[in-house]
Amino acid sequence: MTVEEREQRWTEAMLAERRGDAVAYERMLKEIAAALRRSLAPRLARVGLGVHEAEDLVQEIIIGLHSKRYSWDPTRPFLPWLHAITRYKLIDFTRQRRRDMRRRVDLPLDDWLEMVDPSADAANRSTWEMDRHLAVLPAGQRKIVRAIAVDGASVRCVARELATSEGVVRMTVHRAISRLLEAADPTPAIKPLSRNAHDKHR
Amino acid sequence: MTSTDDLIHSLASTAGTRHRGASLQVALAVTGAASLACALLLLFSVIGIRQDFADMAVRMPFAFKVLYATALVVGASVVALYAATPGASATALYALSPAGILLACGVIFDPTGFPIMGRTSTAVAVCMGRILFLSLPAMILTFVFMRKAAPTQPLFAGAVIGMLSASVGALAYTLACRNDGTAFVAIWYAAACAIMAVVAMMAHRVLRW
Repeated sequence: MTVEEREQRWTEAMLAERRGDAVAYERMLKEIAAALRRSLAPRLARVGLGVHEAEDLVQEIIIGLHSKRYSWDPTRPFLPWLHAITRYKLIDFTRQRRRDMRRRVDLPLDDWLEMVDPSADAANRSTWEMDRHLAVLPAGQRKIVRAIAVDGASVRCVARELATSEGVVRMTVHRAISRLLEAADPTPAIKPLSRNAHDKHR
Repeated sequence: MTSTDDLIHSLASTAGTRHRGASLQVALAVTGAASLACALLLLFSVIGIRQDFADMAVRMPFAFKVLYATALVVGASVVALYAATPGASATALYALSPAGILLACGVIFDPTGFPIMGRTSTAVAVCMGRILFLSLPAMILTFVFMRKAAPTQPLFAGAVIGMLSASVGALAYTLACRNDGTAFVAIWYAAACAIMAVVAMMAHRVLRW
């Protein structure tokens, strides 16, 4: 397809969107996504970003195009408009990733001091932090997690010591980990309504 | 790629449903009118117009002031539309040339003989400070306008916002300004626009979308 044909096709689809033609608009967005994927993935690969990042960027551009679609003037060509949005999103995306990468590899002063002088204070702080995290667990779970994760005991040893099966120990560790993860991330997970709760809403 | 396909499907399902607001041109005209009204309100309530306004209003220096500030407002408005529209033609930048020509003429052919630093030693600071003060509501309103548009060069858009708002402030301030030299007006009004442009550029992150 030539540039002129593409311009014509996507212009018609944008006009169709304004008339409420979802099918034509969806087809155009898919075509744009495919074209962007082909063009952006190698560019991002050059700066060390992978396929997932390219897909994130494609989604960003599609959302940007959709949310600002009324800034396109039908008397003007569509492709320069799309190019400006794509370029803006690409620059913004790489800048954000660079900032994020810098934050991830950053070496704050605390970490640096810990590295050059792993003093008793730091060790105490680590122990205190660990105790604080484990405090969310019931006593039984806490004992098993401490034995396996902190003291380094094997599942079999712990099972023998507690006079229970290895399966129960594994299950207890799994539940403890779920509980610790929940405690670490306070955002409420979206759970399906239980039957009782559903009935209550009726 | 399924999540992208899902996303596209959900976006496409809203085709044609978005309320069509005013076009960018109309929105900018409304923003400009509201900005000028706010600047005039501030001028009348805080600064007041110059006492000899009736005499001066019919003379050349005042006409130059109004013409120059209006050229700045019109030029900056055209450039603001350019900054707000992805892929717009850069020829819009030529809209600033009348203001540039007036600036040059005002400086080179100043017939008033008025000191370039103003009537008093504080004239420059007072005039620029007042223009910046009067342009604050315009800056807020223009930021709102620009956020609703689609600026793809946020730094440039920020600069244009600052320039447009300062030129609106300058237009309102022509009613109060007692410094009538064309060179004074050309240089220091433009300097106020430049300062406001730098200030607004610093807030360019607000324009990210």
